[in-house]
Amino acid sequence: MSFMPRHILEERIGDFGRPVHADHLTVLRRPAIASVLAGGPVEALSGMAEVSLRPVGPGQWLAVSQSLPGSLLAESLAAALAGLGAHVVDQSDGFVLMHIAGPNVRRILAKCIAVDLHGDVFAIGQAAAMMCCHVAANVARVGADAFEIAVPRSYADDVFEEIVEMGREFSLTSAFDDA
Amino acid sequence: MASLIPCPHCGLRPKEEFSIRGDASPVRPAPTASDESWHRYVHIRDNPKGRIVEHWHHALGCRRWLVVERDNLSHEVFGVTDAADWAKRKEA
Repeated sequence: MSFMPRHILEERIGDFGRPVHADHLTVLRRPAIASVLAGGPVEALSGMAEVSLRPVGPGQWLAVSQSLPGSLLAESLAAALAGLGAHVVDQSDGFVLMHIAGPNVRRILAKCIAVDLHGDVFAIGQAAAMMCCHVAANVARVGADAFEIAVPRSYADDVFEEIVEMGREFSLTSAFDDA
Repeated sequence: MASLIPCPHCGLRPKEEFSIRGDASPVRPAPTASDESWHRYVHIRDNPKGRIVEHWHHALGCRRWLVVERDNLSHEVFGVTDAADWAKRKEA
């Protein structure tokens, strides 16, 4: 019996050649995601390279890394926070990370996100938990016109389908990051 | 999505992100209080018109319980506090 890791959106996207338009949705195949719960601020993590810390609520963060493997991320976070009474849980299999970028990205996301994503209000590097396609998502601004959306795995299918639908008027394309 | 609620942790958010528990004004009686006062606490609710306080859960955001003070006629929001801070302020 083999346990080939298979992405939940595999059937939705397929691996045949697809065009890449200006507005493009990239599904990251294997990001490392961990949730961090701590009573106070987590300055100990600000120096960690290759880890982006995204606030969820008071004392809660989602740590995302695209270079470290999942278990290693959780281990290194736990090591960095040792003695502070913090909890770290590996969520790499529990979340799906999507990267959406392009000139019309805000007009696409405005159809399902009610939060103001204008560049003057939502700065690069800023992140927050918010409703996206009626699902509790974590949305981060990672570039001038680029956002990353983390959604629970079981909702990913629905959210993906809805974002693709919303992007149709701008001919949004989608693919895995390794395609 | 209209009806915006200013969450103290997340900022201005649409009401669709929240679930509403109900009136925040009833005070839980002591465990040894009479059946009558427990009955009042559990089952009897006023139906006020105007300025009310309610427990709201920011289910799709910071997942914190909030106390929203608003007008149920004009939908004007007067203030939103984290429920933990509100309880502390009430004790003080």
